[in-house]
Amino acid sequence: MKFSDLGPDEKNWIDSYLDGTIDAKDFESLQNRMAESSELRAVMRRCLSVDSGLASECGANGEEADAWLSLENPTVPEVESQSKILSFPRLAPIAAAAALAFFLGLGLMSWQSGSDWIPREESASAQGFAVIGNLFDPTWKDPKAGKREGDLLGAEVFHLASGTAEIQFFSGAVMTVEGPAEISVKSAWEATCREGAVRMKVPPAARGFKLHAPSSEIIDLGTEFGLRVRDGVGHVEVFDGEIAVRHNEEEEQLMKKGASFSLDPDGPPVATTSGQLTFPDVKKFGSRVFDEVRSDFDRWKDHRDSLAKDERLIAYYSFDREQNQGLIPNLTVPRNPEFDGAVVLAEPVDGRWPGMKSALEFRRPGSRVRVNIPGEFSAFTFSAWVRIDSLDRVYNALFMGDGYETGEPHWQIREDGALMLSVMVDDSKPNPGAPNDAGLHRVYFSPPVWEMAMAGKWIHLASVFDPEARVVSHYVNGKQVSTQEIIDKFLVKTLRIGNGEIGNWGQPFREDPWFAIRHLNGRMDEFAIFQAALGEAEIAAIFEGSRAGR
Amino acid sequence: MAAAENTPRSPDDAHYELFVQRFAQFEPDLRRFIRSLLPTTTDADEVLQQTAMVIWKKFDQYDPDTHFMKWACVIARFESLAYRRKMARDRLVFREDILDLMAEEGMEEIDTRKAEHEALEFCLAAMPEKQRNFLTLAYTPGVKVKELAEEAGSSAASFYMRLKRLRHQVMECVESKIEPLEGV
Repeated sequence: MKFSDLGPDEKNWIDSYLDGTIDAKDFESLQNRMAESSELRAVMRRCLSVDSGLASECGANGEEADAWLSLENPTVPEVESQSKILSFPRLAPIAAAAALAFFLGLGLMSWQSGSDWIPREESASAQGFAVIGNLFDPTWKDPKAGKREGDLLGAEVFHLASGTAEIQFFSGAVMTVEGPAEISVKSAWEATCREGAVRMKVPPAARGFKLHAPSSEIIDLGTEFGLRVRDGVGHVEVFDGEIAVRHNEEEEQLMKKGASFSLDPDGPPVATTSGQLTFPDVKKFGSRVFDEVRSDFDRWKDHRDSLAKDERLIAYYSFDREQNQGLIPNLTVPRNPEFDGAVVLAEPVDGRWPGMKSALEFRRPGSRVRVNIPGEFSAFTFSAWVRIDSLDRVYNALFMGDGYETGEPHWQIREDGALMLSVMVDDSKPNPGAPNDAGLHRVYFSPPVWEMAMAGKWIHLASVFDPEARVVSHYVNGKQVSTQEIIDKFLVKTLRIGNGEIGNWGQPFREDPWFAIRHLNGRMDEFAIFQAALGEAEIAAIFEGSRAGR
Repeated sequence: MAAAENTPRSPDDAHYELFVQRFAQFEPDLRRFIRSLLPTTTDADEVLQQTAMVIWKKFDQYDPDTHFMKWACVIARFESLAYRRKMARDRLVFREDILDLMAEEGMEEIDTRKAEHEALEFCLAAMPEKQRNFLTLAYTPGVKVKELAEEAGSSAASFYMRLKRLRHQVMECVESKIEPLEGV
């Protein structure tokens, strides 16, 4: 018997016994069951042995504890709420304190945010067999199950009501499919077409890709072919190379370039005249997609031009390549070149519309865009399009005031994917419980909004600091993900920026690498700062007006 | 308490060397054996120490040609029972009959425990760093989940949930690795 064979009761009892939380009644039940079952006793011994192994393999030992303690005050530099003094149990208090400090400091306690904003399907799709490439004018049978470009497909059924979609299997095979279609993805090497018109392109590396049609199996031997299934009857045309077709469990038949046949549900394939049916045209599809992207991009340019006139803007950058590559212009109208950003090390890369618009990548540790924005403001709204490749640092900078002096903002993402916004309340007062901090301030966290499955996807982030309404809110893709109150103690009304940077932090006040290095491993394609608290509807409108693709 | 009055032999005694050598060799096995009888690793550590002391005191009764581990297990079983009786009634310790059964069957599984431990090392190495770090946190001695969770503004329940999931994952991994051994 294995652990996984145990019933839910038994598993629960064992878990709570190991955690020391089992109640007397359950403990009695557990022991009664153990008295009866030698198999349960054996599994129990295994669980206890593994638990004991975990304690000796994982539990922090004295040396590690010392190493952590030697870090200069590793307690939560910017997390006021978490730096109260703890009382530890008698045993190994140093190791415990060090471990706690270490994990708080590293922001590893991601379980603390009970509400996961990250949609379930994002998590589930972290592993997949294929990815959605281009989409043209798609409509979905179930709008809730609609896909976007770049979405991963696992073992699932892909329903396209109308339009055209490209599915890139990880084996290298590419399927272009026209709706209405029902494609069931089985693996990177296998799929079933129950309905729809499909064109498969299989490079040599993906030879052997299997496409199931009603009553038949088509094995691709490195080729291009079309399959059309309507009302349960399939037609196949080979455009290039050859394929093997097998009806039920019978012997395979080889079909070469130019072959055309229908898949008879009751027998082997029947030859037909080629060219009678149409299959998705990859070239035409490509050019339609390009036209759509182009018009989408033009729509964004109109949005940009009207946004640039918003009087509440402090600065607005779209990171487009200029003649003079060292500068990114501040786009606000009337134009104020004083607020242009100076690019340091950050590299121009493709933005949301590849080939049409560029972005800046902050992958190298020194990458940054320097700005100098004098003045006093009464609120902040930050808005940015980012494509994060990974959250490598404890804190990953979006926009940071240099000295973190009174009134200056820090907008960043923590390692666990939580958005963070803070403004220095008073740099002359100590932060309670964290004497090494720059001063009194509070960090407002959202629940985690990013995880590895979202790597490489463009997302819109916005955060609002509103002293008048006394709230701090975070937004992802136009939707509010959290809102928190600013209490009296942390109220700061006069806001400033001065020298600051996009994508990094210029003047950390401590030099530990884990604290000081904060460059964003990813790209930024648009960034705006408003001296006003934008509402939910306005942020949703900015997201809608500036997103790529529908 | 008569045993406590026994005078330890001088460390240069050959007997002592043999004791140290055997005990060091079998200590991990013995620890795992004792752990399967008692509620926490702390309890197990205490009984292991007690057992070591008794083994040392009785070491002149040990026949070097017999299996040390079998002999040590008998002592550990007795010490665990004694510890059990000594402990407050409200502690969640196995009943005497269960403890006896577990000890008896556990003595035959010393090699299985070894295999499990090797599998565990493999499984931990293959685990993403974040999950391993979480386990480190959860298994650091003295860290009390409740305080930790409260401090971080989370529920102890969500911590336990995650710990539970990870532990199940580890269990299943360990079982998948030792399965072939058991089949032989």
